[in-house]
Amino acid sequence: MSMHHVEKITGVGDPQCFEGEAGKPRFKEGDRVRIKDRPDIFYTRCQMFTRGAIGEVAVVTHESVPPEDEAWENEQAPAEWFYIVRFRMQDLWGDYPSTYPNDTLQTEFSERWLEPA
Amino acid sequence: MAEEHSHKAAPMVDEVSDYEVLETAVRELAIEKGLFSAEDHRRFAEYAHSLGPLPAARLVAKAWKDPEFKKLALEDGIKASLEVGVDWINDAPTGFGTPSDYTDLRVLEDTPQVKHVVVCTLCSCYPRPILGHSPEWYRTPNYRRRLVRWPRQVLSEFGLQLPADMDIRVEDSNQKCRFLVLPMQPEGTEDWSEEELAQIVTRDCMIGVALPHPDRKADDPRPVHPAVHPVEHHDH
Repeated sequence: MSMHHVEKITGVGDPQCFEGEAGKPRFKEGDRVRIKDRPDIFYTRCQMFTRGAIGEVAVVTHESVPPEDEAWENEQAPAEWFYIVRFRMQDLWGDYPSTYPNDTLQTEFSERWLEPA
Repeated sequence: MAEEHSHKAAPMVDEVSDYEVLETAVRELAIEKGLFSAEDHRRFAEYAHSLGPLPAARLVAKAWKDPEFKKLALEDGIKASLEVGVDWINDAPTGFGTPSDYTDLRVLEDTPQVKHVVVCTLCSCYPRPILGHSPEWYRTPNYRRRLVRWPRQVLSEFGLQLPADMDIRVEDSNQKCRFLVLPMQPEGTEDWSEEELAQIVTRDCMIGVALPHPDRKADDPRPVHPAVHPVEHHDH
């Protein structure tokens, strides 16, 4: 965490300090999205079990520098919108019991990981 | 010799893990480098150790009693936290919260149809400013790997068997949002005060692995049971 970042977030909060930096969100609640299987080098928060899966945007959460940049203190990288995406368990795990077709899992992505489905 | 003493337990108390050595080394280097002072470190450690689940229990109880407050909690968890005495941004000595607790709290409302449960598959993200430190099991690979894969089995290991027609929603806390489960208010507690209600909202209820129960309070006395198979051969 750089001194620049500390100054930016003090008294404001993180992610609040990135408000207004990412423009207009590309997706909205209810949109169907596919998780891209992008390469990642050394650090990501995009879990392997979601790669390629299709889900639905549940919440458009906030703007922030993505962790893939933040992890290297690349805090000048542009902020992105973040989204909580809802998946049906059966779409993530092939053998999830069909007795529970409506069980779901939600997890969060920055915009670079999503494409319309 | 080794065989002869193989029944002896390995020393536990005096062992220092590699991570503890690493933490001490990094902390001392940071102090020498002037990144923060030993006094800063002490103040922060004291703040961290003062945290616990009681404010979150009050938030839940207040949301049960007051529909307007519940609306606020669901819309803006950080603002709602202020009403139970937790300022996510300014309470910590840093002035911006803790370095790993980002300040976006999301309250997940259980319904008769949907039960929420929280995990961090990546490591240990947890709403510490309002819920205190996470239990040890929350950080284990076992819980983190299995909850996203077999949530019903894992919940039943906690003693929570959900009916088949109730849906589970696992929330993987992998970015800057932090999550708190707002469980359903149990039947028979309709005329309870906010304070009484807060006493039945335990930490596990707010992670989502347990349900609040009118006859089970966070500070109930814990009965001590005699051992079923008392240890007979130990050397002290």
